Amino acid sequence: MDSLHAIGFYVSAALAGAGGILAAFLGGHWRRGLALALTGLGVAGIYASLSAGFAAVVVLICFVAVGALVAKPDYRSVEQAAGAAWRQLGAVGAALLFIGLAYAAFRGQFANATFYGGPFGAVSVGRLLFAHDGVATDAIGGLVLVALVGAALAWRRERPRDERETRR
Amino acid sequence: MTVTLVSVLFVSAALTALGAFIAAWKRELTAALCGLPVMFAGAGTAFVGVARFGAASGAPLLGQEAAVLLAIAALAAVALGVGLSGREIPR
Repeated sequence: MDSLHAIGFYVSAALAGAGGILAAFLGGHWRRGLALALTGLGVAGIYASLSAGFAAVVVLICFVAVGALVAKPDYRSVEQAAGAAWRQLGAVGAALLFIGLAYAAFRGQFANATFYGGPFGAVSVGRLLFAHDGVATDAIGGLVLVALVGAALAWRRERPRDERETRR
Repeated sequence: MTVTLVSVLFVSAALTALGAFIAAWKRELTAALCGLPVMFAGAGTAFVGVARFGAASGAPLLGQEAAVLLAIAALAAVALGVGLSGREIPR
């Protein structure tokens, strides 16, 4: 891997991390949507610098769609029932998870292989998706279908009278 | 300056832990959902990194395929979660 790809990788990793941190601490749903789109840009850059251009395009589209979903105008906030102590415990658990995974990554120089794929890989990934692992692709397609139908049914429910009158 | 499997796995670990932190820390349920795609992106980064640096046998781009499927699954999960959180409370 040449220096240009390495610089792209580290800059994209910093972008993804900054976007994630902004998504964690920014208030306002449209700001969080923008932060998620920024994270998607960083993750797509990571994938592109690792010669996974097709995956980068798909991830960028998915993150922009997630950001648009979070930033949509009829956003409703739903408070969690968990108290502050449980949330702090969860944050400590996330830190412990990072320590464990970072240690595993530090010990991860276990394999080294020559990469024969191209910089984009759409044909090879498409062949894998539709010929080699068709069942997994069908399963994900079914999951997406069920999720989108469920989301559409939830969105189509009738709104309360006061909200309808406000929107008029 | 170079990129190795260790650095890719380190970035993947950071993204996964950051997503877990967002999911645990946010008080709003819909905001906590934002952690899900970040966690999935961390897992996908590990898959892509292993496909790039460590896949000595099997299909070489299998990790990229897994990353694509993970991104789509994350989008579906967030769509369902946002739709359910916007659902009306019956009166």
